[in-house]
Amino acid sequence: MLRTSLRSVRALGSKPAAAAAGRQWQVAAARRAGVSQRSYANDPKPVVKPIVLPSSETLTSPSTPPPPPQETVASSTIEPKDAPLEPPAPGSPVAPIAEAEAPPPPPPPPPKKAGFFRRLRNYFLALTILGALGFGGGVWYSRINDNFHDFFTEYIPYGEQAVLYLEDMDFRKRFPNVARRQREPTEQVRIPAQSGASWRVADGGETGGRQSSAVQKTAASAVAAVKEAVKPKEPEPVVEAKKETAVLPKVESKADLAKDVKKPVPVPAAEEPPVPVAAATVPVVAAKKPFKAPEVNEPSRWPPASPIDPLAVPDATEPVVQDLARMLNDIITVINHDGANERYGSTIGKAKDELNKVGRKIKDIKAAVEKDAAKQVRARVDGFDKAANELVSRIEATLQAQEAQWRVEFEAEMERVRKSYDEKVQLIQQRERQISEEKLNNTLLEQAIALQRQFAGDVKKQVEQERDGRLGKLNDLAAAVADLEKLTTGWNDVVDANLRTQQLHVAVDAVRASLEDAAHPRPFIKELVALKEIASDDPVVDAAIASIHPSAYQRGISTPGELVDRFRRVATEVRKASLLPEDAGVASHASSYVLSKLLFKKQGLASGDDVESILTRTQTYLEEGDLDNAAREMNGLSGWAKTLSRDWLGEVRKVLEVQQALEVIQAEARLQSLKLE
Amino acid sequence: MPETTAPPPPAPSRAVSRPVSEALLNEKWDRCLSNLLIKSTLGLGFGVVFSVLIFKRRAWPAFAGAGFGAGRAYEECNYSLKAAARDIKNQA
Repeated sequence: MLRTSLRSVRALGSKPAAAAAGRQWQVAAARRAGVSQRSYANDPKPVVKPIVLPSSETLTSPSTPPPPPQETVASSTIEPKDAPLEPPAPGSPVAPIAEAEAPPPPPPPPPKKAGFFRRLRNYFLALTILGALGFGGGVWYSRINDNFHDFFTEYIPYGEQAVLYLEDMDFRKRFPNVARRQREPTEQVRIPAQSGASWRVADGGETGGRQSSAVQKTAASAVAAVKEAVKPKEPEPVVEAKKETAVLPKVESKADLAKDVKKPVPVPAAEEPPVPVAAATVPVVAAKKPFKAPEVNEPSRWPPASPIDPLAVPDATEPVVQDLARMLNDIITVINHDGANERYGSTIGKAKDELNKVGRKIKDIKAAVEKDAAKQVRARVDGFDKAANELVSRIEATLQAQEAQWRVEFEAEMERVRKSYDEKVQLIQQRERQISEEKLNNTLLEQAIALQRQFAGDVKKQVEQERDGRLGKLNDLAAAVADLEKLTTGWNDVVDANLRTQQLHVAVDAVRASLEDAAHPRPFIKELVALKEIASDDPVVDAAIASIHPSAYQRGISTPGELVDRFRRVATEVRKASLLPEDAGVASHASSYVLSKLLFKKQGLASGDDVESILTRTQTYLEEGDLDNAAREMNGLSGWAKTLSRDWLGEVRKVLEVQQALEVIQAEARLQSLKLE
Repeated sequence: MPETTAPPPPAPSRAVSRPVSEALLNEKWDRCLSNLLIKSTLGLGFGVVFSVLIFKRRAWPAFAGAGFGAGRAYEECNYSLKAAARDIKNQA
């Protein structure tokens, strides 16, 4: 649609776009409105049908369209109220189709129509029922589960009340009595003082004590009011009250009360005897002290007849007699109660006499037995005394005997000990004597040995002295021989030295010959070596040879002719540089070279310190053969002249050194030969 | 024996390294002359080249070059001689 609209806009070209757009918007809005009116655009059919309905029945489908419009119309007419409620149901758009496809289901609509109220009602009904059920279930479950109980009571309204009510009901059902009592708490509960109920927890001992007291009191009260017999009715309300209060004390009190109720009847019958006995014993005890006055008896005041006096036995100490008396007293009391005093008075009196007699007899028997016992005891004591005396005397005798025996034994022992000590002392003395004797012997022996040694030493000394005397003479002889040998060897030395000096002379001559013979300088090292060997360790010869420059004997020395020849060359050069000033440059050198040609030459031993005169002198000396002076003259030069003549001077020196050394060696050799002679 | 064998080596070395004392001055003169020749020739050559290239074949640049060379040689010779004299003085 948008494309088409655009296309149209393009076709229009220059038309304002806003207007076209506005038109299109309108159209679009109109179309949209139409669609919205139709409400459901999912189905193409309903959308198309309502529009096409009037015009194009023939165009689309002729058969299908007719039924739906009726339906839709009907539905629209019939359900204007339901429509807003129903729309969310997605089945509704389908439903019309189904209805359209199947026309027979008209029955469903009637229930729908009628069922709205009903449904509403049913809905609320179901809601209430479900709510009630849920509430009920919640209440029920809250009674089972504690967590749920908390949740339920906290968040569900009226939940707490409901649960509480239910619990209350349940509790009341279980304990109806408690519930009643709770409602009437104002009733006062009275607990009688003697009921036995106390604030204390039940105790075995105390309850017993309380019981006894209660029994006594009840007994007393029963004795006092046995004939009344009204009491049993009083405790009943108390019992009822107790039932309501507590369980434990209630039971106990019940038991107590039952006992109390039951007891009063048998107690007077069963437990009366002790009371009269007690009462009877009291008079008996009391009767002991006055001994003869039975006036205290109470039953004697009985009015109807003179009652029988209860028995008062003077000798009632014996238990048997006591028992008998008690029995008789019982009988007497019975008789007194029955009022049959007159009938049994005589027999009872007899019985009393008999009893008295029995008591007396028993007393007599006792006294007799005591006497016998005393006698026996006395006899026994006497016997014991005698036996003790005998025992004491016997023990003393034995003690004395033992003492005597011990003394004897002690003395014997003492003597034995003394003897043994004496023996020991003697033995020690003997030993000491022996030791001293042995010591003396030892000293004697030592002295003898020392004497022997001294003697041997003396002998040795004398022998050695004699021997030394003879040996000394022999030594003198040997020394004389050695002197002779020395003398001979000395002569041998002299001969050897002589030979050596001769050889030295020969060697020196050989060296000189080798020097003089040579037309050319040649090394004379072999001759020198021979000379050194011959003059073995002669310091003078060694020093002389050492003074020679090594190069001299290695290469040989130049001959005088050579030296003169070289001097001439050197002299020309020196003359060229004779006029040079100090620190001369090229110009001064050139001038000196030129001017030196113009100088006059001197002759002979010219006097003067200039270069020319020195050179002339040197030449004359050389011609004379005086190398030494020539060298001295040349050594006097200075500057360039000396530098130029340096090598020639070295040569001359070498020659002079060799000559000097040879002269020294020759003098040494001569000295040696002179020494020997 | 070692003394006999040892000498030969020093002899030639001395001949090469140090001339005989009387020839010292002559040797220096030889050196100076050769130096003069070389330097003056070099200067002349440069002078000729410059005269040809720059000075339109004038004569004076060639003479000037030769003079420069000769002067240089003279100076060197003078220096060497003076140095030798100084050495002699120091030795004395």
